Amino acid sequence: MENVMTFLPGILSGLQMTLGVFFITIIGSIPLGILASLAMKSPYFIVRWLVNGYIWIMRGTPLLLQLIFIYYGLAMVGVPFGRFEAAAFAFIINYAAYLAEIFRGGLQSVPQGQFDAAQVLGLSKMQTFFKVILPQVVKIVVPSFGNEVVNLVKDTSLIYVIGLGDILRAGSIAAARDVTLVPYLLVGAVYLLMTAVVTIILRGSEKRLNVWR
Amino acid sequence: MISKQKKILVNSLVAMVFFGLLALAVFAILKPSNGNVQPRNDTWSEIKSRKTITIGLDDTFVPMGFRNSSGKIVGFDVDLAEKVFSNLGIKVNWQPIDWSMKETELNTGNIDALWNGYTKTPERAKQVAFSTTYHRAQLALVVKKSSGVRSFEGMSGKVLGVQTGSSGETALNNQPNVLKRYIAGQKAVGYDTFDKAFTDLNANRINGLLVDEDYARYYIKQQANPNDYDILTGPFAISDDVVAFRKGDKGLQKAVDEQLAKLTKSGYLANLEERWFGKSSQNLR
Repeated sequence: MENVMTFLPGILSGLQMTLGVFFITIIGSIPLGILASLAMKSPYFIVRWLVNGYIWIMRGTPLLLQLIFIYYGLAMVGVPFGRFEAAAFAFIINYAAYLAEIFRGGLQSVPQGQFDAAQVLGLSKMQTFFKVILPQVVKIVVPSFGNEVVNLVKDTSLIYVIGLGDILRAGSIAAARDVTLVPYLLVGAVYLLMTAVVTIILRGSEKRLNVWR
Repeated sequence: MISKQKKILVNSLVAMVFFGLLALAVFAILKPSNGNVQPRNDTWSEIKSRKTITIGLDDTFVPMGFRNSSGKIVGFDVDLAEKVFSNLGIKVNWQPIDWSMKETELNTGNIDALWNGYTKTPERAKQVAFSTTYHRAQLALVVKKSSGVRSFEGMSGKVLGVQTGSSGETALNNQPNVLKRYIAGQKAVGYDTFDKAFTDLNANRINGLLVDEDYARYYIKQQANPNDYDILTGPFAISDDVVAFRKGDKGLQKAVDEQLAKLTKSGYLANLEERWFGKSSQNLR
């Protein structure tokens, strides 16, 4: 098994890229998803219409295609993104669309009576949202949010199409070079490890949030 | 409650901004002469003053250009390209790309050249400019000795594997009398990489594998028992490996061609082939 050690450095160098895309997507897509879910409840039909169109496109086409369009397609019409920037942009707008639907479900499960009560108590719209609604929404959406996060861990492998080297790519390189399937086994183990960490963190936060249910 | 007037005002404002942006985007897309091949200027003077050139490669493509176990990009093409450009005083910046996107990467200007076992074909000639041929490769049929296949005819009724989109697949279809008419169902099994096809050959799910001879030798060397395999060659057309440039890059093309001619004459190229493939291809025609 000494050859396992020869594959590790390559695969770990891909890990940096995988984690980079993962964290930047989480950080970028959560606020954008919240904004989009609020926009879906806008009193202006045109705003609702546009946001629904955006979500339809993002959920209705493969992420791989979106990556190709954002990196190669936009470069052809004179909007040259860097490779990493294009990947980050595509992942953020794609995941924000899925998260928006999850947050919308969370918002809808808060009864209208609470909005009315907050208004009667003289809370401003901002206060109502951040102090009353959001804490409840967070608690409701954690399980389905966790689903998306686990998906994201694995979806990061799609960035190979714009020439970025993630861990799956590093595994393919080693497999092609040494004609063995061992690197793929290692890559699988690394993915499992990452999803295990994500799952533990999410379960932990779920428990904490449940304290005041 | 929001008044009706305000609703109408906001709705129409947002709609105007949105459709304005959409019209602009459509205009921008339609303006360049419909996409793919953009005539670009000669970037040679720019490359010379930058002293670096970005070359695209598929870093899984052994033995032409790939990553060794310490992550460094090495290979026959890598050695040759670095020699050519160091003679010109230019540093090579290797950019890994997805191979199916190679011409797009080139024509959008993300990379300046493709140098990675790139074969000359009439279809590709419409999209890119070629250097002179620096390496010739012959297609080979790899079989297990235990299969008893000793010639192309021996494959009759047997299952053949190829890499999808490879020169082997193209040759198989363009010269159906050479091998295609023998194989099971007159259809080959397609793989995305050769290492997967090799795994299937070892598992006896396919009986033969059509691949460039250089790769065949490399892969067989990696196997536990290299003596278990046979390499059979036949009357397939020989493929020419070239460097690809953008159509407009005449200066770069000329400079690389001159260097390749020099390295061929000095014997450097033949030596390099000996080192990576075990034999020179300069006399293949």
